[in-house]
Amino acid sequence: INHIVHNGGLYKRPFNEAFEETPMLVAVLTYVGYGVLTLFGYLRDFMRQWKIEKCQNATEREEQKDFVPLYQDFENFYNRNLYMRIRDSWNRPICSVPGAKVDMMERVSHDYNWTFTYTGRVIKDIINMGSYNYLGFAQKAGTCQEAAAKVLSQYGAGVCSTRQEMGNLDKHEELEKLVARFLGVESAMAYGMGFATNSMNIPALVGKGCLILSDELNHASLVLGARLSGATIRIFKHNNMQSLEKLLKDAIVHGQPRTRRPWKKILILVEGIYSMEGSIVRLPEVIALKKKYKSYLYLDEAHSIGALGPSGRGVVEYFGLNPEDVDVMMGTFTKSFGAAGGYIGGKKELIDYLRTYSHSAVYATSLSPPVVEQIITSMKCIMGEDGTTVGKARVQQLAENTRYFRRRLKEMGFIIYGNEDSPVVPLMLYMPAKIGAFGREMLKRNIGVVVVGFPATPIIESRARFCLSAAHTKEMLDTALKEISEVGDLLQLKYSRHRLVPLLDRPFDETTYEETED
Amino acid sequence: MNVGVAHSEVNPNTRVMNSRGIWLAYGISVAILHVVLLSIPFFSVPVVWTLTNVIHNLVMYVLLHTVKGTPFETPDQGKDRLLTHWEQIDYGAQCTSSRKFLSVSPVVLYLLTSFYTKYDPVHFLINTTSLLSVLLPKLPQFHGVRVFGINKY
Repeated sequence: INHIVHNGGLYKRPFNEAFEETPMLVAVLTYVGYGVLTLFGYLRDFMRQWKIEKCQNATEREEQKDFVPLYQDFENFYNRNLYMRIRDSWNRPICSVPGAKVDMMERVSHDYNWTFTYTGRVIKDIINMGSYNYLGFAQKAGTCQEAAAKVLSQYGAGVCSTRQEMGNLDKHEELEKLVARFLGVESAMAYGMGFATNSMNIPALVGKGCLILSDELNHASLVLGARLSGATIRIFKHNNMQSLEKLLKDAIVHGQPRTRRPWKKILILVEGIYSMEGSIVRLPEVIALKKKYKSYLYLDEAHSIGALGPSGRGVVEYFGLNPEDVDVMMGTFTKSFGAAGGYIGGKKELIDYLRTYSHSAVYATSLSPPVVEQIITSMKCIMGEDGTTVGKARVQQLAENTRYFRRRLKEMGFIIYGNEDSPVVPLMLYMPAKIGAFGREMLKRNIGVVVVGFPATPIIESRARFCLSAAHTKEMLDTALKEISEVGDLLQLKYSRHRLVPLLDRPFDETTYEETED
Repeated sequence: MNVGVAHSEVNPNTRVMNSRGIWLAYGISVAILHVVLLSIPFFSVPVVWTLTNVIHNLVMYVLLHTVKGTPFETPDQGKDRLLTHWEQIDYGAQCTSSRKFLSVSPVVLYLLTSFYTKYDPVHFLINTTSLLSVLLPKLPQFHGVRVFGINKY
């Protein structure tokens, strides 16, 4: 499915998203793969029960045999028989700063991933395609690091209090004013943890009698926050504006379920970039709908702040919209700023309300001073206020890397999901065995990737997810692409039936868009 | 494998029967079973068809109506632990398209089997009981029903 949307002037640039359908043969083979794994799982469980094979799982001691079991056997089936086989692709220990290249501790397993031992060797300079290091601020040397070290020696590492008690430093006030200026909103508030920002602030904004319309693929923090609030939750199909409009119309016409009273508030929860799909929210249409039906919008820019837009101000700038149209702008400092924590920006009354009523403001410890300084320095760098053009260069480098990488992968014939401009690139693997194989083969070639499978994704859509960074040079990307192509040939991953014509073969013509060759 | 997990899909088991290509995979596996049985030299054609029907219904009964819960932990603290896969499809919504497909396919197989066994009485008895055993649990009235307390926990 390939969408290129112009929508009568709402969009100022072409919005190009593609989610190519799974080829039928691949889907059938994927089910065969899971079927074979299930059969072998039952066989091994049988052997373990009859003591033909040693059981490596945690079991109760002899004295506790009559107690309630530790875990329900069947719920652990997937974990024992599928996850254990390919477990070495996750939880890999790294031992350097996760920049464009990272060092990893080598581990081997002699009993098929039930236990790991460290060989003591450190694999150096692995190209890091998995860290959310969009603008390359995860560095161990540079202006950010020096500023953070100075603040560490001045303020110390811990704050030892919440924002409302003794933990409100002048650094926090400075940070919040800076964040408000960066986003173009009236006021902002910063919290210590990105997940906690979502899950603790949505309950402060909505409650019982309100309606939350959330996207299908929203992150765990948004889902948890929505459930904690006690509001009614309705889910619309991913990025589908017809589904959202239908839900809005139904909600306003029918009101609350039994009593038919009007809803107290309607809050739409969307994300800027969805990290599993690589798709960008259709923000112009969402804002148009929000204004038409008079509801509120909560935008979670965890992955898109710093990564989209000509000067890195996020998805609102990418579409050329007014930041005042978004009622609550939330984001995290973890991804593009190389720090930790989250923020919420909006009107002054809203933020003042959150300062008193939000759980994380009252109970959670405030941000640590060196982290705050890292955010301040990196944000000033992106805005250009530190006197150099380093920030702008990084944002442009990320955009170039994104376009180049996506284009090359599509030319090679892989199936890539998501928007043309999103730095998150999911590459489809589909079959369960290829998940483990891809992770291991890439590590052998010194490239670190993140792979995801069922049940985190739908059963036939397991993928490898690349996160591009401004710290990746063109040589690194070329090396990575060469290795990915090699592994793709080895594992037969080049499923795509629409290959792009390579750019160099066409005469230069600004008005032509992508031509696909079937 | 719970990397970046917890989208709104609380129980992925409910969507498996709607995924792309699974109906085709199901049809192909029944066809392969039939061909394998046909290749055994001392079974006559009616016996092979009855065997296909009975084995298909037996496997369907075990997988859809006996095995309960999910093979992985779900974020809803085990709400579906006591439900069979058939009851979990589409979160319990009745008469959806995959439920209709799974109800119709044993009937189609039964009709083909009755034709190829030339309506022999013994084969008829075996095939009909087998068909009933797999159609009755699919009725909407039997949602969550455990006869005589069998398979309750």
